[in-house]
Amino acid sequence: MKKSFWGKALLGISALALGLVLTACGSNNSSDKSSNGGKVTITFWHGMTGPYGKALNGIIKDFNNSQDKYVVKGTAQGNYATLQQKIMAAAKSKKLPTIAQTTYTTVPDYVKNNFLAPLDPYMLKGSDKLSTASMDDIYPAFLSSSKYQGKYYSVPFSKSVRVLFYNKKLMDQLGVKMPTSWEEIAALGPQLKKKGIMAIGFDKSFDMEFEGLARQAGNALVEPDSLKVNVDSKETLTAAHFIWDMLQKGYAKTAGEDFYGDKAFQTGKTLFYVGSSAGVTNMNQTAPKSLDWHTAPLPTYNGQKATELAGNDLVMFNSGNDAQKKGAWAFMKFLLSKKETIKWAEGTGYVPLRKSAVEDPSFQDWLKKNPANAAAVNSLDFGFQSTAFVGFTEYRNDLLDAVDSMISKKTQPEKALADLKTKAEKIIKDNN
Amino acid sequence: MINEKPTIKSTLKALLYLLPMLVVTITFSIWPIISSFMMSFYTKYDYYNDKVSAIGFDNFVTLWQDPEFHLAVRNTLIFVVGVVPITVILSLIIALLLNQIKWLSGFFRTVYFLPFVTSTVAIAMVWNWIYHSDYGLMNYFLGLVGIHPINWLTDPNYSLLALIIMSIWKNLGFNIILFLVGLNNIDKHYYQAAEIDGANSWQRFWNVTIPLLSPITFLVSVNGVIGSFKVFDQVYALFGGQPGPAKADLTIVYYLFEKFYTENKYTLAAASGVFLFFLILLVTLVQMWYSRKHVHY
Repeated sequence: MKKSFWGKALLGISALALGLVLTACGSNNSSDKSSNGGKVTITFWHGMTGPYGKALNGIIKDFNNSQDKYVVKGTAQGNYATLQQKIMAAAKSKKLPTIAQTTYTTVPDYVKNNFLAPLDPYMLKGSDKLSTASMDDIYPAFLSSSKYQGKYYSVPFSKSVRVLFYNKKLMDQLGVKMPTSWEEIAALGPQLKKKGIMAIGFDKSFDMEFEGLARQAGNALVEPDSLKVNVDSKETLTAAHFIWDMLQKGYAKTAGEDFYGDKAFQTGKTLFYVGSSAGVTNMNQTAPKSLDWHTAPLPTYNGQKATELAGNDLVMFNSGNDAQKKGAWAFMKFLLSKKETIKWAEGTGYVPLRKSAVEDPSFQDWLKKNPANAAAVNSLDFGFQSTAFVGFTEYRNDLLDAVDSMISKKTQPEKALADLKTKAEKIIKDNN
Repeated sequence: MINEKPTIKSTLKALLYLLPMLVVTITFSIWPIISSFMMSFYTKYDYYNDKVSAIGFDNFVTLWQDPEFHLAVRNTLIFVVGVVPITVILSLIIALLLNQIKWLSGFFRTVYFLPFVTSTVAIAMVWNWIYHSDYGLMNYFLGLVGIHPINWLTDPNYSLLALIIMSIWKNLGFNIILFLVGLNNIDKHYYQAAEIDGANSWQRFWNVTIPLLSPITFLVSVNGVIGSFKVFDQVYALFGGQPGPAKADLTIVYYLFEKFYTENKYTLAAASGVFLFFLILLVTLVQMWYSRKHVHY
């Protein structure tokens, strides 16, 4: 008994020790993997799945075959929310990948916590830099959102815009002409309501349209640089009321439990639908054959054109060594190249990032075959992006709450937006 | 062996046997609990580099003053009060009925147990459809008895009720199984003795079944209260990653999640977790105190 006890104890302890050694080896292995047959490995976390993941993997493969210095290893981390959570956890445990997909609005928070490496040393200087001509070729709205505090921290990647979907057949039946302005859409409200049809459908939240209309009315919700909060300025209130009044009068509806407004649009409950251009891919699959749907750039408001650019950028973390960072930039540059951005746009429905890519005859041919994708491309000249600042995600939560309150509780825009202003100013004061 | 006096050697031996489990528990439960307790007192904290510059009660003061947190506590309490009693009573009734039928009883047990083994996301997708204001089953059935369609998921007045109904349905399965076990453990002789004394079926239920089932009832309700206080996944799944229309379904854990993951207020999230811990502890202690008088083992 005595002997066997100590024998077992010894066995147990040695098993435990072995386990510890093994795990130690395991972690050693994974951190030492930066070399791969003499090549430098660049880890890349993204949120692209399904057809998007397939297109991205194709491009990664192209890159790996195009040169023999670097190997990019892409890993899909689930949806954007999961990707954010994983980045957070990896940052805490100091295991960040070399590059990752994220929204430009998280950049200020990342910079504050010192996660990111600025791209300037690679993008503007050195042997692999982008030439001035090449920089000018990228749509300015994308470049400006990549810049924070005077430095480039991200490159544009998967970008979409808001576009207008319209039901041509239904328009002809009702004798409605294609509207060129939001005011005309609102004016259609009363006559369509009599026939049991709403003029326009939104997604569950109308925050992006609200932000767009506020721009068209004359101001950004939060001004760049000065970070002045305009969420309850006269212009913003006019814009908010424009949408809110249509909702209250029954000329417009939000998607509610459907999340996206495409369902109501497909069943003919709304004549128009304003949604993401990335939704075209989905609409192609789900719309009934009989539905005669088309897309157009967003109409004007107050005589101005604007559409909010959504989507994700790529950032480079501090975690990599010099060789990895160089390789990461080479990959980013590869993605930005005319050839690859065309391939990416055709594979996913995201917009090309370069003017020369849009003008390219092969891409124009593709647009002729896929006319629904043209609206997004034609909107790029008047696209805008929100002002990013530290605490943006918290501000965005509050913005969505304010919009939700206007929808669900029918809160007057004056009240909802005055509350939002107080919150936004506090966030900006606390963080910036 | 069992009656051996504990010696240093036997204690060490016991520790050795417990070691694997202890390592796992300490790493994944005890240490996180301790560190989140400590984190809730950090007022100036660099989360990523683990540098604490100031400590104090500021996080709890913020919670105390935050109307959103009040809303979260209120919603959670309504949820617990709405879900637990109905779940306990309903699952007891269903267990009694299942105990009566012999034919196809296995089939019915499986049917009632299914919600427990189905993933919450799948359940939420189905209920999302049931609750749909235009073509949902719920409004269809309500329409049959002349009730106007309700916007279950988009009206802040009904969305918490929608969540409660779904959660009751989801919780039933496991509790029914527990009650069935409890019912089968009651010795038949008690019923026979009661029958000889002339007790009718209602009296047998009230004076034999209920008291002898009380340990299970206690278990089910303590379990239910703790589980309901921690509600999160149902909200997240049913409302597509939002806490219901106009925050009508914001619960304490959802608040914690938002603060931690989207607003980067790590210490505030920790403080709300600590608050939840003491709230559950308090309610469980009250239940234990009550059980001393009313639970018969």
